[in-house]
Amino acid sequence: MKRTIIPFGPQHPVLPEPIVLDLILMDEKVMDAIPTIGYIHRGLEMMVERVEYTEMGFVVERICGICSFMHGMGYCVSLESIMNVEVPERARWLRLIWAEISRIQSHLLWLGLGADAFGFENLFMHCWRMREQILDIFEKTTGGRIIHSVNRIGGVKRDISDSELAAILAQLQELGAAFGETARVFETDPSIRHRLSGVGVLTTEDARAVDAVGPMARASGIAIDTRLSGAHLYDRVDFEPMVESAGDCLARVLVRLREVDQSIDIIRQAIERMPKGDGQAIETRVRGVPDGEVFTRLEQPRGEVIYYVKANGTRFLERFRARTPTFANIPAMIKLVKGSQLADVPNIILTIDPCISCTER
Amino acid sequence: MDRAAFLARVEEYHRAGWRLALINVTTVLSTEADMPGVFEIAWAFARGGGFETIREQIEPGATVPSISEFFGAAFLYENEIRELFGINVTGIGVDLKGQLYKTATRVPFSHAAVKARLEATRAAAVKHS
Amino acid sequence: MANPFRLPMVPRALRNLVSRPATRRYPTEVRPHFAGTRGAIEFDVDSCVFCMLCARRCPAVAITCSREDRFWAIDQLTCIACGVCVEVCNKNSLSMSVASRRVHTRTEVSPDGRRPGREEWSKPVPAAPTAPVVATPGGRAAEAG
Repeated sequence: MKRTIIPFGPQHPVLPEPIVLDLILMDEKVMDAIPTIGYIHRGLEMMVERVEYTEMGFVVERICGICSFMHGMGYCVSLESIMNVEVPERARWLRLIWAEISRIQSHLLWLGLGADAFGFENLFMHCWRMREQILDIFEKTTGGRIIHSVNRIGGVKRDISDSELAAILAQLQELGAAFGETARVFETDPSIRHRLSGVGVLTTEDARAVDAVGPMARASGIAIDTRLSGAHLYDRVDFEPMVESAGDCLARVLVRLREVDQSIDIIRQAIERMPKGDGQAIETRVRGVPDGEVFTRLEQPRGEVIYYVKANGTRFLERFRARTPTFANIPAMIKLVKGSQLADVPNIILTIDPCISCTER
Repeated sequence: MDRAAFLARVEEYHRAGWRLALINVTTVLSTEADMPGVFEIAWAFARGGGFETIREQIEPGATVPSISEFFGAAFLYENEIRELFGINVTGIGVDLKGQLYKTATRVPFSHAAVKARLEATRAAAVKHS
Repeated sequence: MANPFRLPMVPRALRNLVSRPATRRYPTEVRPHFAGTRGAIEFDVDSCVFCMLCARRCPAVAITCSREDRFWAIDQLTCIACGVCVEVCNKNSLSMSVASRRVHTRTEVSPDGRRPGREEWSKPVPAAPTAPVVATPGGRAAEAG
């Protein structure tokens, strides 16, 4: 029995962003894991001292490239709460549609990375090829593939016409049909099942004890989803949180697979239920300075994100805090890694969907 | 702050099945020139659609008890507030000993550091472009 | 060894063998941009009145503007293509093209002190008008004053 310490990271083929876990091993089994983060800490929360509240939205949406839209939306929604701004309904529907498209894009990215992590590169390329279509939709409607810059305090900057929305829906439904084939690969391929089934099991009690959020918790049988609170027009669409009970890596893959189809369905409902007609107002003009504080909760692809904004009546905010879902899932990750085999560690770390840029801001 | 009362409230949230959502600190500078200001700490708990916070105001240098015995996931937040704000949190479950973030300035959100940066950026903003 | 006829990826793999690649042969084939793509900033110095609103609102502090010197400059490599300057300009001097910013291969400052990607404009103050020519009753022009 030999005790070794292996640093996992900061560069590892499986990690989209750098994080270090010092793994303390006894032979091949992990006894403990000590995290060190800070490789991508840019001090973005400190920027509130330098950037006025009107432009801080652009800084916030650049916290992370994968979750970019929801960061911008969360910031604008928080400021709108503080300043009591009434956002036009069409703008709120557009935000919901863009947020769900962002969720599809993020899950496709993660499914590709997950496939790459256990060596299935063909599937990885296939998922990312489908993701390219989503990024083209973003570029057509917002002007940018990753950073969208459409959210403003008071609404959105660009409208999508009804005909364009119908075209986007048709394209997404076609994508959903093509994605069905890929989903079947994830669900039935024997090599994937062999690598993921029974690996990294997080029981329901453990998931509650470490306060897991998002697909991590839903794969362990806890039906939490911030969208159920009904805020931001989610009470006008019908959906159920996708829950699996096995709690292993395969369950987490299945939850994210099903959420892609669920998001396409939510977009279809949103396009049906939103007010029709071109030329509607999409932005309310905002004047003055904010004063007050608010907590805003949204459901990002990785789980519950909490934005805390405190303003003190000047053009500079006093505090901005984004508690991202990966930050809440790191204790779950450490708990999972302890007791597993070394060869399973990359898979396990990837299944929490680590977005370290969000964690460290 | 009243440690016993605070820990009792935290225990109640834990027993009722609430989840720890966030521990947030805001550095509030004082309006008087010589006073250092306070830290506002908010412990946020969530259960389903409910969201409640415990708020405390503490002086710089005061100690804050860790809630790791009830909420194991608190260690990450508490290490962070110790490193970024300089608040002395006692009894953290997993103590990372100041190695969590590697910032260029230690304790970047202490009152002195925030005040110094605000003065520098105000001076620069006046002569913008 | 799993039965290859029951592996779900096999039909896809076989189709990939006979179909076109999904990648483009860049730089021979360039992906066309869409109509609303956010790209480089373009500036029309003739309509600018140097109100400095764009410089004040730029989140990346990429624009330098001076009313007294009638000078406007943008650091294209610092610009984040958010479009706020285009939105706030009252004189429509700024527009956003769909083309991406030019690629620069050097990062060092050039000998005359300019950073790569920096574009500058100056609008000189128009010269004072010369005295007008006035016709005398005798039909011959003579200078007035």
